[in-house]
Amino acid sequence: MVGMDVVRRELRGSLIALAMVAVTTVVVYGLTQSLEVRRGSVIYLLPVLLAGWHLGLIPALVAAVAGVLWSGYFFFSPYYSFYLSRPNEILNLLLFMVVAGVTSHLANSMKKQTELAKKREKEMGDLYAFSRRLAGASSAADIYLAIEEHLASLVQRKVVLFGAGSDRDAKPEQEALSQRVHAAIAEVQAGRTAATTVDDGAGDIWLVRRVSQKNADFGVIAIDLGSVPAGAIDEVRQRVNDLLSDAAATLERLDVARALNDAKMRSETELLREALIGSVSHELRTPLASILGAATVLSKSALIGKDERLTSLTGVVRDEAERLNNDIQNLLDATRISREQIRPRQEWIEPQDIVNAALERRRRRLSGHQVSLDMDSNLPFIYVDPVLVEQAFGQIVDNAAKYSPPGSPITVAAKRNGHDVVLSVHDEGAGLTAQENAHVGERFFRGPRHATTTSGSGLGLWIAKAFVSANGGKIEAASAGADRGATVSIHLPFATPASQPEVGPDD
Amino acid sequence: MTETNPVVLVVDDEVQIRRFLRAGLELDGFSVQDAETGADALRWATLKPPDLVILDLGLPDMDGSEVLERLRAWSSVPLIVLSVRSNEAEKVRLLESGADDYVVKPFGMAELLARAHAAMRRQVRVSSGEPVVKVGPLTIDLAARIVTINGARVMLTPKEYRLLQLLAQHAGNVVTHQFLLKEVWGSPHLHDTHYLRIFVRKLRQKIEVDPTQPRILLTELGVGYRLVSPEGAVAAAN
Repeated sequence: MVGMDVVRRELRGSLIALAMVAVTTVVVYGLTQSLEVRRGSVIYLLPVLLAGWHLGLIPALVAAVAGVLWSGYFFFSPYYSFYLSRPNEILNLLLFMVVAGVTSHLANSMKKQTELAKKREKEMGDLYAFSRRLAGASSAADIYLAIEEHLASLVQRKVVLFGAGSDRDAKPEQEALSQRVHAAIAEVQAGRTAATTVDDGAGDIWLVRRVSQKNADFGVIAIDLGSVPAGAIDEVRQRVNDLLSDAAATLERLDVARALNDAKMRSETELLREALIGSVSHELRTPLASILGAATVLSKSALIGKDERLTSLTGVVRDEAERLNNDIQNLLDATRISREQIRPRQEWIEPQDIVNAALERRRRRLSGHQVSLDMDSNLPFIYVDPVLVEQAFGQIVDNAAKYSPPGSPITVAAKRNGHDVVLSVHDEGAGLTAQENAHVGERFFRGPRHATTTSGSGLGLWIAKAFVSANGGKIEAASAGADRGATVSIHLPFATPASQPEVGPDD
Repeated sequence: MTETNPVVLVVDDEVQIRRFLRAGLELDGFSVQDAETGADALRWATLKPPDLVILDLGLPDMDGSEVLERLRAWSSVPLIVLSVRSNEAEKVRLLESGADDYVVKPFGMAELLARAHAAMRRQVRVSSGEPVVKVGPLTIDLAARIVTINGARVMLTPKEYRLLQLLAQHAGNVVTHQFLLKEVWGSPHLHDTHYLRIFVRKLRQKIEVDPTQPRILLTELGVGYRLVSPEGAVAAAN
């Protein structure tokens, strides 16, 4: 079969070569007739070169012989006969044949080199992509998947990889394997044999072995060799084994073992953190609820009510408990954000409702300031998670109260601006320097001026930003400079009037 | 405590919370019965039917929502849930399964008492058939279907009236979006929250002094609406 193909290809090449010679001949005939050209046999080198470059040795030799014959016909006496008599003609023939040989050889080796370069490039690209995937993998499962795909592309066969240790959730490809293959995998995993071949019962031979003979961490791989005749099995097996030992060396070099360990560590840390946060939220908040509740009961008692100083003390307990509660809430929110667990529950809402709720919740904290409200009466509805936006806005209100002197005015506004609804808080407090403004809203950023005077974690505005951007909006801060007040605003896009909610039926 | 004092069943596994609740409730004239577990709570509710239940959700033996469900199978006692913040979906679910209201931990005593009294007043109103609900300057005569503000008649469309009527029946307690939508527009519109937003805006324009800063018809973000009770003003000031 293969032989026939070669003959057919060479035959086709030779015919093309002859056609090229024919075309050359037509040109030569025209030249000799019109211009009386008598020297020009070298023109027949053209089809030889072309055939040698593109078609290979045999078509080039065919072109050489045909070309010499035709050049004898036109350019050597006896003219118009194919008879080769002169030494010149014999020399021509030899020269043409040498050119044919050299050209085709050069072309051939060039082609081989190009192919090799392309293959190398692809291999390097694959390897690079693979190592990047390893570096970015966040779990052992991700890494195994990367290894599986890498090996599959390398051996060009269907492969199924089993990670070291027990897989908690088997993939469908793993479950689809036949009983016999599973049995072989169990054998290799248990270390009773290093490698084995098994017939899956459906006619395919599977090679089952450790990915690396040295390192069990890389797992066990099952490779579908297809339907291999019994005699050829050792050869195929050897070839796959060679590919795999290269791959295993690569895995060693890329330090896959450490990546796997890191991934396992990370998921354990994650679990620990989750447990910690769960317990913090419960363990800290329960006593806080008791403290705050008890303070409110005390403040109502007639005994304490008689003494102004005692009444103010219960107020202190209550305020501080609330502040602590806010800090805990911020910590929990910050963790939710880093773990990308913010899932807005969006609904149509009146913007004023958000502002009012945020102010209501902070009524006590704001009682030391002159708060004035400036809200447009017919603002468009916005489609947001009202709870998240309220938390974000409340954070901005808290900051205004915190960084401006007692008794100073705070202006809260809700306005429409183009396609945005803008909720803003203006204070006449510490303001922002240009440098502070550049960093405001960054995680843990606090203006150095406030480090010793006002407590804070530098989380509040960062959380607010995350909540607002989860709702498709943004936060902007403006200030004329230090101690010249600040305006911080939330910009939330509202849908165009056409997509504002329809009024329901009113009978 | 005399026998005439209303009995409140406090269900919470945290001893410190029970302590301040007991003090606060007794100061307010309640007679307090404690329960540490869900099973305990259900037992006391049968032995000595309370006039009010305060239920914490985190109980050692069963989920608070299970206690609520089992209690609601035979009792319509006013019930306030102690909830944790930032889980609006859970609050809605509890209200839908029969809680009258909730307070979010940490909470002040006045806030809890306002919710509790509102729920208890509703109970009395239902059993006595008292038709008039007064909320600040607003009077709603449920029998005559007449709404007045400081004596002046307010004209409402049928749906606006229905909305106000539902809120008035629960005056002082939160009413969920879903409940209002189902009662006013019917089940197919259970998720058309925007109907509600638009009608509330209209209603506020008719009953509020400044519709942008409502004092009577309040929004509970992510949950529903609340018509203030007279105690609401006390809670806010405290």
